[in-house]
Amino acid sequence: MVRKILHFDLDAFYCAVEELRRPELKGTPFAVGGRPESRGVVSSCSYAARQFGIRSAMGMAQAVRLCPELRVLPPDMREYGRISGQVMEILHSVTPLVEQLSIDEAFLEVTERPEYASELAKMVQSQVKRRLGLPSSLGVATNKLVAKIATDVGKAAVRTGDYPMAVQVVPPGRETEFLAPLPVDALWGVGPRTRERLAARGIHKVSDLLAASAEELAQQFGKLGRDLRRQAQGLDQRPIVTEREAKSISQETTFAQDVVDTETLRRVLRQQAAQVGGRLRRGGLAARTVSLKLRWTDFSTQTRQTTPSQPVDDEEDICRIALELLASNRREGAPVRLIGVGCSGLVPAVKQMSIFDMAADPEARAREDQLNEAVKALRKRFGADAIRRGSDL
Amino acid sequence: MRVSCFQENLSKGLSIVGRAVSSRSTLPVLGNILLEAKDDQLRLAATNLEIGVNCWIGAHIEDEGAITVPARLLTEFVNSLQPGKIEMELSVRTQTLHLRCGNFDVNIKGIDAQEFPVIPTVDNGDGPEETAEALEGRTIALETAGLTKMIDQVVFAAATDESRPTLTGVEVTFAKERLALAATDGYRLSVRSIEVEEAFTDDLAVVVPARHLSELGRIIVDAEDERPVQVTVTQARNQILFRVWGKGGETRGAFHQVDLVSQLIADRFPDYRAIIPKGHNTRTVVGTDAFLQAVRVAQLFARDNANIVRLKIEPNGDSGVGNLHLTASSAEMGNSKNELDAMVEGDDLEIDFDVRYLIAVLSQIDEEQVVLETTQSNRPGTIRPLGLGDEEFLHVVMPMHPPR
Repeated sequence: MVRKILHFDLDAFYCAVEELRRPELKGTPFAVGGRPESRGVVSSCSYAARQFGIRSAMGMAQAVRLCPELRVLPPDMREYGRISGQVMEILHSVTPLVEQLSIDEAFLEVTERPEYASELAKMVQSQVKRRLGLPSSLGVATNKLVAKIATDVGKAAVRTGDYPMAVQVVPPGRETEFLAPLPVDALWGVGPRTRERLAARGIHKVSDLLAASAEELAQQFGKLGRDLRRQAQGLDQRPIVTEREAKSISQETTFAQDVVDTETLRRVLRQQAAQVGGRLRRGGLAARTVSLKLRWTDFSTQTRQTTPSQPVDDEEDICRIALELLASNRREGAPVRLIGVGCSGLVPAVKQMSIFDMAADPEARAREDQLNEAVKALRKRFGADAIRRGSDL
Repeated sequence: MRVSCFQENLSKGLSIVGRAVSSRSTLPVLGNILLEAKDDQLRLAATNLEIGVNCWIGAHIEDEGAITVPARLLTEFVNSLQPGKIEMELSVRTQTLHLRCGNFDVNIKGIDAQEFPVIPTVDNGDGPEETAEALEGRTIALETAGLTKMIDQVVFAAATDESRPTLTGVEVTFAKERLALAATDGYRLSVRSIEVEEAFTDDLAVVVPARHLSELGRIIVDAEDERPVQVTVTQARNQILFRVWGKGGETRGAFHQVDLVSQLIADRFPDYRAIIPKGHNTRTVVGTDAFLQAVRVAQLFARDNANIVRLKIEPNGDSGVGNLHLTASSAEMGNSKNELDAMVEGDDLEIDFDVRYLIAVLSQIDEEQVVLETTQSNRPGTIRPLGLGDEEFLHVVMPMHPPR
């Protein structure tokens, strides 16, 4: 059966959220990210800023050089996480088969829906815009690979300086044709180094991959070579992996420039833990294992993990463990290329309560319950930021 | 030793003492059952040193004597026979027991009865004359009626893992004219109590291993209803003895008397009274059978998902009837929903439980309706049969809840 897959991607998500809070930002060049003077990186930039050549993952200092009037806003991950949750709820109302890729990106399988996939894509886009005021772009195709590339192509085709709000459809049977003219780095697994190696063999576009001999590719690039050929043919049979079935949830960041500053790393970890924690919560899951991934300047990658006595689903616990792992696995001052937090060994986020927890100090428990209820009520009424733990300030 | 008895009686006796046989012991004689012919009765005995059971059955004694033989071999042989008379004769020189029944003729090699440990007993004058050492202690009588049910309603809540030994026991409390049994594995608590006619002179609480109490419950099923069970606690409070009278001589498949002696658990039992909820926000009354059926179905789906069953309680509407919804789901298998009519007073609530705990307690309730009382989703729920007060039967079960 021909599958119907949507790839959903919010347009400049962080910036769009900031604009909702501060309408005066609309149409102006601004970016969300770390401060330029502390080697901060652009997490997200407005489409007006993109006109200046600013891109995400660029050093903020460079961004400010490109556009001196650029407004730089600190990221508010809690708010982004909260709103992302609302977006994902809308997606889940379309189909239960939602695979969330990150805070602002997801696949939806709508094969069983009677509507045309392109109609559904437009419906999702307009619902998210109408209900949350957020712009988004979608790719529509018969598999995840082509759908995701379609979104990128659709977004890139819009050069108005405003949110693209693209819906790019690749009809069944037209996958190869659609991919052929694209540069090879549109495919998954092609970074700058692979791109250079391919270019050295005269392979620049996806169509070049098809023209190249399969044996040669396999010989020179091994598994990646075979994989790239399959991708070039537009073949991809991977299923949608929903949160409940997911084996792990992780979030990682590659820095445009290696980061030496420990505070920056800790801040990134905190944001990542918040995102991972949010996804665990939405999936009703807890993790047995928390891991920290580090890539050093020489591209060597290290993953270290901890299994706490009880599964964790709380961003603060995840963050605390990740920070401990960072402290014990990184020499102070060692430059880091990539950092990431992962949670695996996912289990339902419930545990059998013990009678003796209660008996130990019923009054203390009652007080804690009261506190939690009060905090919940405050957050419900005044937003997630209304009250925080002192240690977070 | 030369003795004859009925296969039915011997089989019954072996099934009673068989549970006390040590399955793996460095002492070979503990894997044996003692047979002692004396005073027109055949005594069968087994012990693993934590529990000891003596069972007297009717027999025709020609020569007194005693021998121990391997429990498993003897039991399986006797259970293979048709009902009828079994003749036994001991060859003292070879310590071999010769058994004859119908056209079967077997010899079972035994171990000298002198090597078998002494199982303590009490001498209250109306039992068979004792050769064993008598326990010093206090004795009261307990009606047998309902005692098995009472034990069944409590023992399942005891812990089966040995990490906290005291939780593998049942606290047996004699206070005034009330006997109370309580067991908890840390996640649920079962308390059952009854009024008793005879009381110890002062209050007494001991912790009996739950599996030994289960054995007592099994034995009482075949007891003579008219004669109460005698309970003796040693002065040192390290052993408890239950004496159960059987239906005796004329009835086939019966015993005269059973003495069950158990070591007591020395550790203090936790003070469970502190965790029994003092009030509730929601009180739900629902049919026991319907509730039990619903949780059994829920288990089919819950077992792949940490055994979670979600109870959604909705208060009585205008129709005067409320709802108890049960849902269970598994990512792989699917899900189940069930809606029961219930009388619900108070707030609505969603609360998750381990479905196995609900099945365990509901299976032990004979009354037509049960009451579930709850406060909030991270607080214990209580379950008891409608019509019985907390004093009589109370089950407390902790919910499953997200950490913190």
